[in-house]
Amino acid sequence: MKRIHTVAVLAATTTLALSGCAKKSTDDAPASAGGRTTVRVLISGDTNVQDLWTKGIVPGFTKANPGIDVKVELDLHGEHDSQNLAKMAAAVKGDKDAGFDIVDGGFVAQAARASLLLPADPETITGLADVPPDIVKAGAGGGIPYRGSSVLLAYNPAKVKNPPKTLDELLAWIKANKGQFTYNSPKSGGSGSSFVTTVLDKYLTADEQQKLRTSYAKELEPKWDKGFAELKSLNAFVYQGGVYPNGNSQVLQLLSGGSISMAPVWSDQFISGQKSGQIPATIKAMQISNPSFTGGAAYLGIPKNSPNKDAAIKLTNYVLTPDAQNVIAKTIAGYPVIPLDKLPADTQAIFKEAHPENLRPTYFAEVGSDMSKAWDDKVPGQ
Amino acid sequence: VSAGAAGTVRRRRGSRAARSRSLGAFFAALPPILLVALFAGLPILLAVGYSLGHTGGLNSVTASYAQHQYVSSGGLGTTGAYREMLGSERFRVDVVVTVLVTVLSTAIVLALSLGIALNLRLRGGLVARAIAALGVVPLFIPVVIASWAILTFYSSDGFIRSVFAHIGVDAPSLGFKVATIVIGSVWTSLPFAVLMISSGVQAVPDSVIDAARDSGAGLVRTTRSVILPMAFIPIVIATTFTAIGVLGSFTVPYFTGPNSPRMLGVDIQNYFSAYNQPQQAIVIAVTIFVLASGIAVAYIWANFRSANDKDL
Repeated sequence: MKRIHTVAVLAATTTLALSGCAKKSTDDAPASAGGRTTVRVLISGDTNVQDLWTKGIVPGFTKANPGIDVKVELDLHGEHDSQNLAKMAAAVKGDKDAGFDIVDGGFVAQAARASLLLPADPETITGLADVPPDIVKAGAGGGIPYRGSSVLLAYNPAKVKNPPKTLDELLAWIKANKGQFTYNSPKSGGSGSSFVTTVLDKYLTADEQQKLRTSYAKELEPKWDKGFAELKSLNAFVYQGGVYPNGNSQVLQLLSGGSISMAPVWSDQFISGQKSGQIPATIKAMQISNPSFTGGAAYLGIPKNSPNKDAAIKLTNYVLTPDAQNVIAKTIAGYPVIPLDKLPADTQAIFKEAHPENLRPTYFAEVGSDMSKAWDDKVPGQ
Repeated sequence: VSAGAAGTVRRRRGSRAARSRSLGAFFAALPPILLVALFAGLPILLAVGYSLGHTGGLNSVTASYAQHQYVSSGGLGTTGAYREMLGSERFRVDVVVTVLVTVLSTAIVLALSLGIALNLRLRGGLVARAIAALGVVPLFIPVVIASWAILTFYSSDGFIRSVFAHIGVDAPSLGFKVATIVIGSVWTSLPFAVLMISSGVQAVPDSVIDAARDSGAGLVRTTRSVILPMAFIPIVIATTFTAIGVLGSFTVPYFTGPNSPRMLGVDIQNYFSAYNQPQQAIVIAVTIFVLASGIAVAYIWANFRSANDKDL
């Protein structure tokens, strides 16, 4: 899942220059002392994910496993992602301690592709047995999916009486209501990326879609042309005749402020935005069909040579239990990655409009990068 | 013969003193040189090597996850990445837009700060001082916040359009346009240019200006023939720094600019992280470096000129 916060991008870019600011997580060294083990979790994300771990997952886990302590470290907005990835690469290649045992963040995918992580194998990580294989596969071999989210169609009921139910209806609506719809550029956030993927998929067979999701099937990319032509034809009907903002939150702002009346949005961002009041309660969101918008999972990664591998595996397995999945659903509105019927009825009710069981995965990471570039070249300002 | 020999000895003694002096200077300069070589020189060499397809060694981590790489088959390397980028229509358009924004922004910044400086020097007074102080304000506002402010000010539901809407005029929206980038660049570059140029113009002595006026020179003539030549070096420095800053800017074009065409600073970020093509990102970096070198030549020339002036 790709979710670039504009702030994080900026911060990451500036901190690249100031690499001296890299966090030192090795100083207060961990490991086993007196029979106790400490698992170090590195979070690259926002404080809501930190709360999920420290207030939700960790208390439950330490209660069930009294011999293991969990230390959570937050790298806010993933500002040090590139340094942490480089540190892990160097640590694994030189067989040294990377300073963390579990990573929860966007760079897990890159680390998995560079084979720095313990394989996400149901034999070792038994909790994966309940997770749909497609989602596991999208983790590039090392990413362990632990919560999902998908993109939904959000609309302002004051202006849209009969929201479109299918992709075709949506495309017709966009053309009939000039300037009322937009999506963010696919490179800048997953919600726009999902809209683009869904339109491209309209012109592909199920087999071709599957290949693009599970492998870097470069040879299929020319088949996107029809989809891109369709997207290009929308330029004149999009907000201000073809303005595609950078980032998920800019689109949400336009929608909340009334500049547009419909847009694709992330489920978790939408649900928590309404909770905090940033998005007016009157705005509604639902999933379209035929095809539905894509979604994806957030992945955990365990460095190949972690000194606390066994405890890290235990914690990962705990995260995949119905108890922990329920906590994730309740605190940050994350979709469970295990079947919904294993969770309590009230949790199932939250997700009845979102259909997490039909999570249509996004493209394979490399395919996604190529798609972002192709969109930039072929759609805006053309 | 003896006079010649004495001359040689004197010259030799002189050159020995000079040599020991230059050796001392060399050792004094060694730490910064080593620092630059290690933290700037080496990474640049590695990056340029990588862009030419050398994916081994210290580049192997990046190479392990990059897409669309050109790998060298030996020798000096391959120019594949450079050929791909220079051959793409998109990149050429982006280069042209970047140069255009740079030239336009620099020209506007120069005109504005010259105006502010001359007004302060020749007219003076409270208003002139207030304007000069106001011109420096953007220095204290972070660029991210300024970019957002500019975007919301000119956007479709922004201040300008709201004011015009009240009198029944549908003003154009300037959000997400190349023009917005120019506005933002001028806004962020103005303070440095104002500080630099107004201090240069302030340094022109009263007596010189009075002399010019006494011999009948008007305002334009005094400015053109007296003030501008005397403040020439600070003006060149302000111009080059502004141009180089705008050329490589990221924040302003990223927030306020259109999806297409893009400035090169935004392109680097796109290629590096969104498209996962670090090799192509380095090609863009090299392009910006080449463009900036052209501007830097002007700066170095101005520095030499000022050094020569002092010697005279």
